[in-house]
Amino acid sequence: MNYLRWIGAFLLLAGLPFFLGSYYNDVYRKMLLWVTLALGYNFLFGIGGQVAFSHFAFYGVGAYSIVIFLIQLQLPLPLAILLGIALCVLVALAVAIPSTRLEGFYLALATLALAQLFVVVLNEGGAVTGGTGGLANYRLPEVFGLRIAGPWYTAVIVFLLLMTFFILLKLDRSWFGRACRAVRDNPEAAAAMGVDVARTKVIAFTLTSALAGVAGMVYAFVDNTVNPPIFGLENAFLILFMVIVGGAGRHAGAVIGAVLLFLLPFVLSPLVGHHHVLVFGLLVLGAILAAPKGLIGFYDSIRKNF
Amino acid sequence: MKDTILQVKALSKRFGGLLAVSQLDFEVREGEILGMIGPNGAGKSTTFNVIAGAYAADAGEVSFSGEPILGRAPHQIAMRGIMRTFQHNRPFAGMPVIDNVMVGAHTRFKAGLLSVLFGNAFQEETEKRKKAESLVDFVGLGELRDADVATLSFGQGRLLEIARALAGEPRLILLDEPAAGLTPDELARLAHIIRGIAARGIAVLLIEHDMHFLLPLAHRVVVLNFGAKIADGLPAEIRADPAVMDAYLGSHAAAH
Repeated sequence: MNYLRWIGAFLLLAGLPFFLGSYYNDVYRKMLLWVTLALGYNFLFGIGGQVAFSHFAFYGVGAYSIVIFLIQLQLPLPLAILLGIALCVLVALAVAIPSTRLEGFYLALATLALAQLFVVVLNEGGAVTGGTGGLANYRLPEVFGLRIAGPWYTAVIVFLLLMTFFILLKLDRSWFGRACRAVRDNPEAAAAMGVDVARTKVIAFTLTSALAGVAGMVYAFVDNTVNPPIFGLENAFLILFMVIVGGAGRHAGAVIGAVLLFLLPFVLSPLVGHHHVLVFGLLVLGAILAAPKGLIGFYDSIRKNF
Repeated sequence: MKDTILQVKALSKRFGGLLAVSQLDFEVREGEILGMIGPNGAGKSTTFNVIAGAYAADAGEVSFSGEPILGRAPHQIAMRGIMRTFQHNRPFAGMPVIDNVMVGAHTRFKAGLLSVLFGNAFQEETEKRKKAESLVDFVGLGELRDADVATLSFGQGRLLEIARALAGEPRLILLDEPAAGLTPDELARLAHIIRGIAARGIAVLLIEHDMHFLLPLAHRVVVLNFGAKIADGLPAEIRADPAVMDAYLGSHAAAH
């Protein structure tokens, strides 16, 4: 891979917020976070074929754990990050190992239960999680004596996005990515080719869940507040729609789906007011029916025919 | 005589009340083409699936290079050097031809995940891709290397199954009715490919329905009927065996 391209992409994406006002900078940051999440979820769902609803919950595990380790327990930043990742990995293994032994929709059920349970734990967590009100009024400590804020913190998010994309792209273009696709397309044939199906699923699930956790850690210092409603099921389904609308199994599809579905409410609200949720749902449904292979698949078929 | 690579002893497999494979003994020697024939339901595919680890056996022993392999999972058996094709094509539908073949090479990759992310695993990737390309050429699908597998004809799909299995660098390849549904031209090409595989020193266990295809190709033949072996020998001996004529060839010829 050409490293100059990555550096160029970083400079471009991280440079942009210096020209945006603070409102648009905030919108931009959240869009980047959604793109990061959608890329990871696309690897799990689109490439790995695993229907899981826990991706957003792991985002929450990351966000809460960094605040608890760093602010509540006053641990140093590198240790807090490592502990947060370790927690995501442990929870992911605890869900993935038993559910991948079972067939089909058990993973969907187990991860749906996990996502629900996570919100319950947050609400009932007392002083540790701050209960229904969550945790607020904290901020990122100085790193090497520097306070990273404003567009500089947006650069951290850009770095997160590109790092996530880099990891997923490397995996996708290796024997591991092919094994994931093979398991998705035909598990019996994959096993006959020497792919350990259960192990491949567990690794894909754990890796993408950990990446969602890291994204959550970065998110924790975007609004400087974490609370239970953010990590509910609504967003867990939104991320699924982003990947499907964009085109499951394609990195570009995940990016397009995340950007469009994230920005759509901003466009719809002024036009249709309170009905924007309904219109949003109809548009998503229409997109799925009109382009079952996603917008990227639609684009491909247009390019092929003209 | 060449060394035995696969030894099957007293193998039995039952599905409910049906004894699909009964007290089966046979062996495959290094570099030979062993044909296995028998009418539908004779237990050929069941035997295959037991050897490949897809089904558990009820009794008996299977050893590969002297090591018992019964009870191992399919991916562990592939790792040891037994690769297979399926009776019905099972391509990885979301991938081009070349990537399907690359999946076959899965067990031969040495780079770990860390080396994939931060190391130089791309060298191995390039090397394996070259090998996969030469296998695609070997089975005659060179022009379709980057084609979507969904665009392949049935016969091309049969050849892809073989290229994919060869990519695992097997010492024994199990071919499950590779000739079924092929045109005469495709049959001639398939026979040539199977001889080429054996010439590379890879033992071939070939299940076939059609004796006209199998007998000229196989070095030795095992005949099954109702799950049991009824004959075992050189193709010429099988042709002359009255029991085989009765049980299989006679009824087969009469059916046509």
